[in-house]
Amino acid sequence: MSAAPPRGGYLKQAWLVIVLSLVYGGGLAAVQTTLSGRIADNRRAETYDVIPELVPGGDKGKTEELLVQGADGKDVRLYQVFAADGSHRGWVLPAGGQGFADRIDLLVGLSADGATITGLYVLAQKETPGLGDYITGEDFRRRFAGRPAGEPLVVVKSDPRADNEIRALSGATISSESVAAIVNAALANLREAIGAGGDSPQGVQETAPRQQAH
Amino acid sequence: MPSDQPTALERFINGILPENPIYRQLLGMCPVLAVTNGMKPAMTMAAATAFVLICANVMVSLIRGLLKPHLRILVFTLTIATFVTIADRLLAAYVYDMSKQLGPYVPLIIVNCIIISRCEICASKQGAGVAIADAFGMSLGFALALASIATVREILGSGTWLGLPVLPAGWPGWGIMVLPPGAFLTLGLLLGMAEWASQRRAAVKRQGGGTR
Amino acid sequence: MGEPEAGGGEAPGRGHALAMDTLATLILIFVGAALINNFVLHYFVGICPFLGVSRRVDTAFGMGCAVTFVISIAALLNWTFTYFVLRPGAPLPAWVWAAAGGDPATQVDLSVLSYIIYIFVIASSVQLVEMYVRKFFPPLYRSFGVYLPLITTNCAILFACLEIMKHMQDPTKVWGLHEALALAVGGGIGFTLAISLMAGIREELDLCEVPRPLKGAGIALIVAGIMAMAFMGFTGVDKGVHAALSALLR
Repeated sequence: MSAAPPRGGYLKQAWLVIVLSLVYGGGLAAVQTTLSGRIADNRRAETYDVIPELVPGGDKGKTEELLVQGADGKDVRLYQVFAADGSHRGWVLPAGGQGFADRIDLLVGLSADGATITGLYVLAQKETPGLGDYITGEDFRRRFAGRPAGEPLVVVKSDPRADNEIRALSGATISSESVAAIVNAALANLREAIGAGGDSPQGVQETAPRQQAH
Repeated sequence: MPSDQPTALERFINGILPENPIYRQLLGMCPVLAVTNGMKPAMTMAAATAFVLICANVMVSLIRGLLKPHLRILVFTLTIATFVTIADRLLAAYVYDMSKQLGPYVPLIIVNCIIISRCEICASKQGAGVAIADAFGMSLGFALALASIATVREILGSGTWLGLPVLPAGWPGWGIMVLPPGAFLTLGLLLGMAEWASQRRAAVKRQGGGTR
Repeated sequence: MGEPEAGGGEAPGRGHALAMDTLATLILIFVGAALINNFVLHYFVGICPFLGVSRRVDTAFGMGCAVTFVISIAALLNWTFTYFVLRPGAPLPAWVWAAAGGDPATQVDLSVLSYIIYIFVIASSVQLVEMYVRKFFPPLYRSFGVYLPLITTNCAILFACLEIMKHMQDPTKVWGLHEALALAVGGGIGFTLAISLMAGIREELDLCEVPRPLKGAGIALIVAGIMAMAFMGFTGVDKGVHAALSALLR
């Protein structure tokens, strides 16, 4: 870069950059205003669309988002699921942790009394293609439904004999164990906040219930 | 307009094979390796890059008379970054799943050397018509290159093409192809093939004196 | 280690556990960025210099160090911008909005300007580093030639900033400056490692009979593929490191 100031001063040289910045900034603001609603809906739909699958009878239009404090002291956003008639059907907890290759993000469905797991959905994973990534398949996820939420789940390689045993994916033991560990950790962290045994959560700050217009 | 500069048609045809951005110019390699594990993400990335390239070329060629020499890279970067943001937002709004899969590689279009080099070489020197033709040609070349690599990786790696199964169900699926090593190996071998083809054509030209 | 088991709720014990947790997280982020998810061999960023500048080990190492330096500065500046201005729920825009009499319930979200600000901060960082190197290390500056300004288009730097931004979107868990720098420095060191290894291999390749079509970029990419396979061996290491750190630091 030359050391002497350009002829005409910096403003004369830079006016184009300034004008363009303003024009582009305005364009971006317009794009943001038009599209941000749609993008936010897409992001929410990611979770809300699978709620009927995770909690049988749940209506995604009647789900409420809550911000609670877990046992580790950190805030967690979870979902209280109601049916179309307003009865409390269950909970959906987000869970995440280290898998074999990278982070795994899940949603765990829980019954209304917090005693039984009703479903599992994998939001994001980067496990080995063809082996570990079968954790997203229905076959693996179905193994979690109906399991008790009160005790930690254990992954076994043979057929499960106890209620809290889950059969591992063949060739992907570590991925299966990671999923179980993530579920166990999330349940342990949020058990108190949900108040297992009742449907009135303890220590809950309610965010404004979402007005659903789907 | 100086008459020694390539015309619009020449620019268009140039971009597809003779000056293909990936196989001949070796620019913009990062998205090539990252998004080619399937045809769908590859084509989405090609579309996004095409959008940015065309819009940036048009914009730069419209303001080419006002550019100051030592601030032009700044102007190019500003323009490209704006259009990339727009493309990213459009993807997130209308094809959210693809947007999530492509992840950080859409904003990385900003530093994709193809676009800056086209702005510098063509758009800042010629009119909007030529700039559009150039952008279209380069985008088509880029898409073809991405498609070639993605086809190899997806068929060998998952037995599908565009998500539809094309190989018998018994195909074990070479997992390595959809992982990073497969990307490097595929691109290296395809580059070798392209180089071999062009070296053979040059040798034939030299021998036959122009017979094809 | 002779220390009493930190019971839950005791203030010094809890503080100690938190500090150890943070240290473990930082080490994991660092090792993750440098080895397990190596920027070049796993995320495919920084390929252009990886292929272009990896002919000789000393140039490659110098380039790697320059990139690490620029990544750190860019990450520092971009984290600051993102934390205070650009993320959803950032304090400065909210303050300006409230001061201008706006409704405090609406969230001001300036994240649409992120990419533009990031690339400008990166370009400025590169300019800064260039001026610094030219003034204090003239021979180094001459040996770099045209490569130093080209660092601006190095995907690795923008990628590091984008990864940091990704971890600042959720207001409940925002990365602090320490985590951002761990990622940036780890990524830069991983890049330096990959590019130096590649340069060493290519120096040897110069003495081999490489088939003509594969000379140059072709053989470099094939070698990179084999290196990527080798680095895949690091998969799952962070689980083990995490377990070891938990055992060690408690």
